Amino acid sequence: MNHAIISCLHANLPAAEAVLNDIDRQGIDTITCLGDLVGYGPQPNEVVELIRKRGIATCQGCWDEDIIDGLNACECSYPSQLAERRGHLAHQWTDDQLTDENKSFLASLPTSLRRDRLLFVHGSPNSQHEYLLPDMDAFAALERVETAGADILFCGHTHQPYVRELRDGSIRVRLQNADHGNDQGEELTLPMRKIVNAGSVGEPRHGSTNATYVIHNDATDEVEIKEVAYDVGRTCQAIVEAGLPKVFAWRLSHGFEFAEQAEDASHVCER
Amino acid sequence: MIERWALVSGLRGDLETYDLIQRDLKKTRGVTALFVLGDLVGPERNCDALLDRLKNPHRGDLKPDCIYGWWEEQLLAERGFRGERKADALRLSQGEDAVSALLNTVNPSHLKWLASLQFGFIELDCALIHGSSSDVGDNLTSETSPLILLDRLTRLNVNRLFTARSTKQFHLELTGGGINSQVKDLNGKREQQQEVPKRSVIGIGAGLNYTLYDIGSDKTHFLTAGSKTNPKGKGFA
Ligand SMILES: [Zn+2]
Ligand SMILES: [Zn+2]
Repeated sequence: MNHAIISCLHANLPAAEAVLNDIDRQGIDTITCLGDLVGYGPQPNEVVELIRKRGIATCQGCWDEDIIDGLNACECSYPSQLAERRGHLAHQWTDDQLTDENKSFLASLPTSLRRDRLLFVHGSPNSQHEYLLPDMDAFAALERVETAGADILFCGHTHQPYVRELRDGSIRVRLQNADHGNDQGEELTLPMRKIVNAGSVGEPRHGSTNATYVIHNDATDEVEIKEVAYDVGRTCQAIVEAGLPKVFAWRLSHGFEFAEQAEDASHVCER
Repeated sequence: MIERWALVSGLRGDLETYDLIQRDLKKTRGVTALFVLGDLVGPERNCDALLDRLKNPHRGDLKPDCIYGWWEEQLLAERGFRGERKADALRLSQGEDAVSALLNTVNPSHLKWLASLQFGFIELDCALIHGSSSDVGDNLTSETSPLILLDRLTRLNVNRLFTARSTKQFHLELTGGGINSQVKDLNGKREQQQEVPKRSVIGIGAGLNYTLYDIGSDKTHFLTAGSKTNPKGKGFA
């Protein structure tokens, strides 16, 4: 059966509607959302209400968490100081706009969802703020999936969709000065695991302005990355009219985050 | 010339044990540094005398470099040095009595010094941490999945991780292996191969059980303070 995974809607209503329409058109009725319903975009209440109305199973994103807990995130949430300042502006604006009811909905979201061997998180099983980038150390990537006890890990947060298959892994170990001659060592065979990043509906950074999401077939394990065009101009105009930083509109109309890659993607927020 | 480190942990207020270790080290060649990897304090006995000695070494003592461990973390959290957090882990595992016992073993005058201790040291290509970079309470042993051990090494980008939390003594080397990875995105597919780097995790023990590490030869020696001959019978005098 096909099911759809969406992430990082970021208060972009036209993009959210276009993606949900695209999913509906294919007759897919199981949808899982990996959080970041708000932040950057101009319509936080509308997007939260759309997800609530449709009853879409959702886990909490980094922005959803920060709106509830206040901005005590360590600087790892932002790739640069400039990005951090703009992030603070957007945070304040979103905080002012969101209704109490929508805030308590965000507060009620779980940090992960599990269906059999599938695990759904926003950033990583460790933290909503950890980036699992497509080229991160393969053993560390496998460790995240394996320690969480999943076969397939669905995540978002990087805004770049990808499917990563980790296979044929092994690690040989040997005990130095073991009590009973263990000098031969042992070999651990690692299991095959997958990480699927759903990209971003409302703030894509993969080099195109199209919204992205993924479809997974739980019988064949095939994953398809989908791109959906939407009215970017409408959202950009709403961003400017709301008084949000213009760079958010510029970014949406370019589809990548200019010169703002995370400096230390392996950093784990320890707060 | 041999250059070696002495690594100690889990003293938990036991000045007598520390004294025995210092005497051992006086008789040992080539020890240039003494690292105390946390758990200086504990709930069993008053810790003030040991803390005084660590802060103000006796003449002839090898000067200790200390970091904080799981018990210091609990104490400092309960005493308000960790923001909102309290000694939750201790309370959960051993109950309220253990928390008050811990508070009673350390004079508050030591708290500022304990709070100034670092989480870990990076020396050469080695990390010295009570648990791991993931958590001060990370309980790594030779039985821990090598995948997790490798992850802890990777997070710090070091070749050796010295850890104390498990209280076990072991020296586990990652000697080989690899993994294939395929990434598919909207630009297509790419394959990557990665090899297991030659790295190791060393458990240094606790209390009387301490470790000597020879930097040049990458050899560890697991010792017990005060015992007439060391367990391997290989003379360290
Ligand atoms: Zn996001
Ligand atoms: Zn995020």
